[in-house]
Amino acid sequence: MASKEDMVRITDAQERITHWILAGSFLIALITGLGLMYHHWSIIPTIFGGYYASKWIHIFSGVMFGLSLVMAIPMWWKECLFVEGDGKWIMKAGGYLWEAEDIPPAGKFNAGQKIFYWFVVVFGVILVVTGLIMANALSFPVVVARWAFMLHAMSVFVLASFLMVHIYLGTIGNPGTIQAMLHGWVTRAWASVHCPRWLEEKVDNTSSSSNS
Amino acid sequence: MAEHMMLIDLTKCTGCRACQVACKEWNGLRAEKTKFNGSYQNPPDLSYDTWTLVRFDEIKSENSLKKVEWLMRKEGCMHCVDAPCVQACPSPGALVKTPEGAVVHNPKYCIGCKACVVACPFDIPRYSPQEEKIAKCTLCYDRITEGKVPACVEACTTGCLEFGPKEDIIARAKARIKEVDASLYPNNGYETHVIYIVPKYAKVEEYSHLNPDPKVPSTELWWKNLFKPLTLIGMGGVAGLAALHYLIKGPHRVDDKGTEGGDDNG
Repeated sequence: MASKEDMVRITDAQERITHWILAGSFLIALITGLGLMYHHWSIIPTIFGGYYASKWIHIFSGVMFGLSLVMAIPMWWKECLFVEGDGKWIMKAGGYLWEAEDIPPAGKFNAGQKIFYWFVVVFGVILVVTGLIMANALSFPVVVARWAFMLHAMSVFVLASFLMVHIYLGTIGNPGTIQAMLHGWVTRAWASVHCPRWLEEKVDNTSSSSNS
Repeated sequence: MAEHMMLIDLTKCTGCRACQVACKEWNGLRAEKTKFNGSYQNPPDLSYDTWTLVRFDEIKSENSLKKVEWLMRKEGCMHCVDAPCVQACPSPGALVKTPEGAVVHNPKYCIGCKACVVACPFDIPRYSPQEEKIAKCTLCYDRITEGKVPACVEACTTGCLEFGPKEDIIARAKARIKEVDASLYPNNGYETHVIYIVPKYAKVEEYSHLNPDPKVPSTELWWKNLFKPLTLIGMGGVAGLAALHYLIKGPHRVDDKGTEGGDDNG
């Protein structure tokens, strides 16, 4: 176990809280939504108190997801803008999936995480907007409501599949990573591997100047 | 019970609305405030408490003896063979396609999501915000399973409404359109358990609130047949590949020294 001096804090409390409201509300909406879509999985509505309760839990968690998106979008967008080297990083998957050499150093977020962020922004907004249309379907022209049902299903396919990648790489695939979203402290060693450019620019630059 | 159908012969409808009244009586539906909108049509629209309705339209007549033709059409659920509402319904048992051909809603299981209202090519199900449920014609499922005809058919004064086994009704309809030189609706290949005979002096497009080209909405086909299975394939596939990746490559560990980052005392 690394001592406190060997640790750096990569997220602030607001980021962690937003992340988990976003993740929690999405997961609840996803699970209840799958229960409503797949009739064979009646176990899900049973757990959530029936189909009627599932409908309202789905709508409520969807609204929560929308509100947390409102917090998440302005919080991370700057750090998720693509920079030079991100294209090359993507071609090598950052060395996360297979061995790769000469990988452009990632900042606080690597290019893969940035893509995930923008997918969450685009398809998350589609999910929330179409969800609101579906919940108030009779207030819209039927063509709009029909498209809402389709786009809702399409977006959940994209996001839920990508979410699996996010969960794997953030947990068992890369031990030490989930701490960044639990208490924010990661080891210097971890940061030097996963976020070298962030460590160099944001931590060492400022700390060396304050130490001297 | 075998598959049954209802034939609505519009060449015989006089707009007496006995069917409307019989429907209300048999199904115990509340009366509604009527409203004069310039025609005999009342109540003005289908509703949670009005499951069938005679719609009135006036069109220019080709007949030199009169100026207008009155179009009367008994509207209600068409009981589609491949019902989009049943496909769209998320709550098992709330909308059911029965072997008799009826599409029946069960208020006990309806969760009021309105997916069926959006899916219906004929704009039939009606939603009540107070009840938080939908309601529509059930083809008098409780009557036909007891060997009776639907209440509207029973009450029809002119023989405009007929109900019977599928083959009989289709044969009856084909003979009738020859007899009076009329046409059938739907005529685009879309299959329903309620069919109309449209008189030769009227076109399908001239009837109000009648979809000339009914079909399962393509948006529903997309989400039901493509994105629904894709979601499982996507989530399961990625999770499976992640598990494989873990089994083959193992976790990407970073020790305290930073195996890949080198000396971190910078």
